[in-house]
Amino acid sequence: MQRLLVLIVLAAAASLAAAQPGPQSWPTRPLKLVVPYAAGGPVDISARLLAAKLQESLGQPVVPENRPGAGGSIGVELAAKSPPDGYTLVMSAIATLAINPSLYASLPYDPLKDLRHVTLLVQVPNVLIVANELPAKNVKELVALAKARPGKLDFGSGSTGSTGHLAGEMFKMVTGTFMVHIPYKGSAPALADMMAGRVHLMFDNLASALPSIKADKVRALAVTTKARSGFLPEVPTLDEAGRQSEAGLRGFDMTTWWGVSVAAKTPQAVVERLSAAIVKAMDAPDFKDRLRSMGSEAPLIRTPDEFASFVSSELKIYTELVKRSGAKAD
Amino acid sequence: MKIKSQQDWWAGWMFIGFGLFFIVAAIGTPEFIDKMVGTRLIPGYQMGSSVRMGPAYFPVVLGGMLACLGLLVLLDSIIEEGPKVAKFHFRPLLFIAVSSLAFAYLLKPLGLVLASIILVFISAYGGHEFKWKEVAIMSVVLVIFSVLVFVKGLSLPFPVCPGFIEICPIR
Amino acid sequence: MEGIFGNLAIGFIEVFKLQAITIAGMTMTLPFNIIMCLIGVLLGTLIGVLPGIGPVATIAMLLPVTFNLAPIAALIMLAGIYYGAQYGGSTTAILVNLPGESSSVVTCLDGYQMARRGRAGPALATAAIGSFFAGCVATLVVAMFAPPLAEVALKFGPAEYFSLMVLGLVAAVVLAHGSLIKAIAMVILGLLLGLVGTDVNSGVLRFSFGISEMADGIGFVTVAMGMFGICEIIANLEQKEHREVFTSKVGSLMPSKEDFKRMVAPILRGTLLGSALGILPGGGALLASFGAYTLEKKVSRNSHEFGKGAIEGVAAPESANNAGAQTSFIPLLTLGIPSNAVMALMIGAMMIQGIAPGPQVMTERPQLFWGMIASMWVGNLMLVILNLPLIGMWIKLLTVPYRYLYPSILLFMAIGVFSISNQPFDCFLMACFGLLGYVCVKLGCEPAPLILGFILGPLMEENLRRAMLLSRGDPWVFISPSKPISMGFLLAAIVLLVIIALPALRKKREMVFVEEK
Repeated sequence: MQRLLVLIVLAAAASLAAAQPGPQSWPTRPLKLVVPYAAGGPVDISARLLAAKLQESLGQPVVPENRPGAGGSIGVELAAKSPPDGYTLVMSAIATLAINPSLYASLPYDPLKDLRHVTLLVQVPNVLIVANELPAKNVKELVALAKARPGKLDFGSGSTGSTGHLAGEMFKMVTGTFMVHIPYKGSAPALADMMAGRVHLMFDNLASALPSIKADKVRALAVTTKARSGFLPEVPTLDEAGRQSEAGLRGFDMTTWWGVSVAAKTPQAVVERLSAAIVKAMDAPDFKDRLRSMGSEAPLIRTPDEFASFVSSELKIYTELVKRSGAKAD
Repeated sequence: MKIKSQQDWWAGWMFIGFGLFFIVAAIGTPEFIDKMVGTRLIPGYQMGSSVRMGPAYFPVVLGGMLACLGLLVLLDSIIEEGPKVAKFHFRPLLFIAVSSLAFAYLLKPLGLVLASIILVFISAYGGHEFKWKEVAIMSVVLVIFSVLVFVKGLSLPFPVCPGFIEICPIR
Repeated sequence: MEGIFGNLAIGFIEVFKLQAITIAGMTMTLPFNIIMCLIGVLLGTLIGVLPGIGPVATIAMLLPVTFNLAPIAALIMLAGIYYGAQYGGSTTAILVNLPGESSSVVTCLDGYQMARRGRAGPALATAAIGSFFAGCVATLVVAMFAPPLAEVALKFGPAEYFSLMVLGLVAAVVLAHGSLIKAIAMVILGLLLGLVGTDVNSGVLRFSFGISEMADGIGFVTVAMGMFGICEIIANLEQKEHREVFTSKVGSLMPSKEDFKRMVAPILRGTLLGSALGILPGGGALLASFGAYTLEKKVSRNSHEFGKGAIEGVAAPESANNAGAQTSFIPLLTLGIPSNAVMALMIGAMMIQGIAPGPQVMTERPQLFWGMIASMWVGNLMLVILNLPLIGMWIKLLTVPYRYLYPSILLFMAIGVFSISNQPFDCFLMACFGLLGYVCVKLGCEPAPLILGFILGPLMEENLRRAMLLSRGDPWVFISPSKPISMGFLLAAIVLLVIIALPALRKKREMVFVEEK
């Protein structure tokens, strides 16, 4: 028994000593990639793709671990409060970094102070789709229709406080229209109700809406990014629509995005090494193709500093938007 | 008044309890209790209207129905004969609960191997017969099976060895 | 008709196609797709048997592996995991009363009772045969009627779903064989427990009491493992020595002639109901097995045997849930709408392979589309061939003394529940539900209605509130002539309620009568 005790103490001491790695040696043991959502979603899929790629370039296993709960807060908190040694990464997204801080009354982490943002991985445009029955063929007609029938049009969304919901609220605000928000549990049932004509319009992310658009089950009126999407080159941007008719829509730019973050005090060298590894993965043609097929254009933001300032500017935009939309959780 | 069906008597109270619990949790604690305590105990949620039902609407309606049904069961228990409540056996209850909790809370710090062994030993101790040797063999077999199937095969992100051991033979 | 068979022929050719495969430097000619199908159903059976490990997590984990495969091979394998898990799930339900999937809750009711009476063999065989038959029929349905059925599915809006859920909940009462009032109360308690977590409409966290682990609600697996699994173990342990060996007489492996006679009609009805409900993307397949069980209990001549090991109570729900699992591919293949989490993953798998799911798949990539459908049939055949001989092995498992069996079951349950979100809290909840289940059993309240209420509660509230929002608060939307489907369901619910309540009332009056005498 005593010998066992000695062994345990020795082992513990050894592990303590080993827990302080120099950045040169990082990584010396397997990494954990926290996915703050249940297995199977787009963030989860891209995390698994990334994990496989990182494993190749870092030479250590990268294990994705799903820690769903509280709109992603649980998983992000876990990473934010883990030792800042670069061994716990988290898939951080627009919801957990920019929207939830104002949506939830209290959040167990500060998206800017508790986390070091490493690399932006995916940026998916949102697309404004309308039911086929709706007579509006473009944004101008849609706004006119909404103004002629105030409170009669319904817009669906994947959940309260989702980018789809907030984009809708933003649209209402800048065009001065009034429409009723109908929240769903995920965008699939909302799409089904749109195909049947029960819900009139919706801002959905391109990846989930694309099959229905291609099948002519719903009609795409505009994308919400500054530039047109390669997937729907014939569909104008809201910004373009703003230039032509609805001035309020100028500069409309809302994408769904996610990337990788680590705990705030992670050494700079580790962050840079990790960022370089992720960028290398993103430049690999096969990985690029996979992400593209999920609707993501390659993000232009790449370095940790660019990502961090992007996060803080998005946080500002969405704090304002959530406040105006009146959405609240908790 | 005589309780004719013990089972229904207690079941009635259980349903009433759950019903009231959900109602109170949904609309918040009544004002007089808040005044007695001095703070708002449970804030509750909005009721809303039938057009735009608030988060409290559905639970309050259901809680009310549950409490009413509980009352019916209670009434039934003094009208109609029914079975007695069978004896509670606390030993298996305790050991099964403790073993699964021990496993859950020790899995991350101690790893799958030790946590599984602990679960098997505690739960087996809650049974009728406990033979050290048998349980030891059983836990070895189960540990090998779990590591192979869950960690190797299905690649669940469980630590296999305790966190303080730096070199683990199985990853 | 000819076109259908032509198309199916394309599919079968694709499935059995020989391909040159290079493994470890050696090039071999193999029917690769069929091998992937076999791997899929084997893996599916394994995770189906293990409680708590579901097809969603498994498919998600395997997705990166499938990237290196051809799209058709990848999809065939993933689909195989899905319906293989359905088969495996019934095995655990029958043998140890553990429903790993919502669809196998009802299989527990009579399947486990059959096992306790030494008829695990016939029960497992019935499940396999019923599932196979249903799978074949549903595959044909998918092949022949997918596009028109998808249009029917779109007719279901929030109002229709709400009414369907009401009907389903009334049907849930039939699951219990004891007191009617207590069964209704258990359904409502289940509905309330299902509401825990983030409210879809307002985003408000309900009944989570500041515990962030409860913000997303309580998982089905957690509740089912607690109320069925833990509770069953405790109940068995309190019986002294009685259950040292699960069952001394193992009985025959295969169903008798009488059994076969009794299972034919339930399998047919179950298949029909399951195929119909499976096409509804908003939770129809969930109702399939429950609905089929209720239907059988009401129409069967042996309805008094239900809950005590009636073979109809295994045959009907098992065929219904397998039929539903197959036809739930219809909204995916024709509309690109996933009806459950597994289907959502299939969409992900298709998109990553560069295929946009939707009706154009059928015309643009017929080999893929029909190959997948053909593979479903082949997969079902494999499963039945695989499962019938396995029955012998499963039964041997039952002769293992219970003191070895229960720690193993407990360990697998704990691992499964833990793996859902990789945190200890779910295991804690499982233990709580075990306690609740134990108390309920002692008080003569059955857990099955609670579980159904738990599954349907959130769906019901969501659809009710959405329907009211869309109609701007008009309560008549559920029974207006413009919504005949919704009205039909509500009428059926009332009729069913009367059918259920009448005998109970009559019995009570008779009893009062007897007492007065």
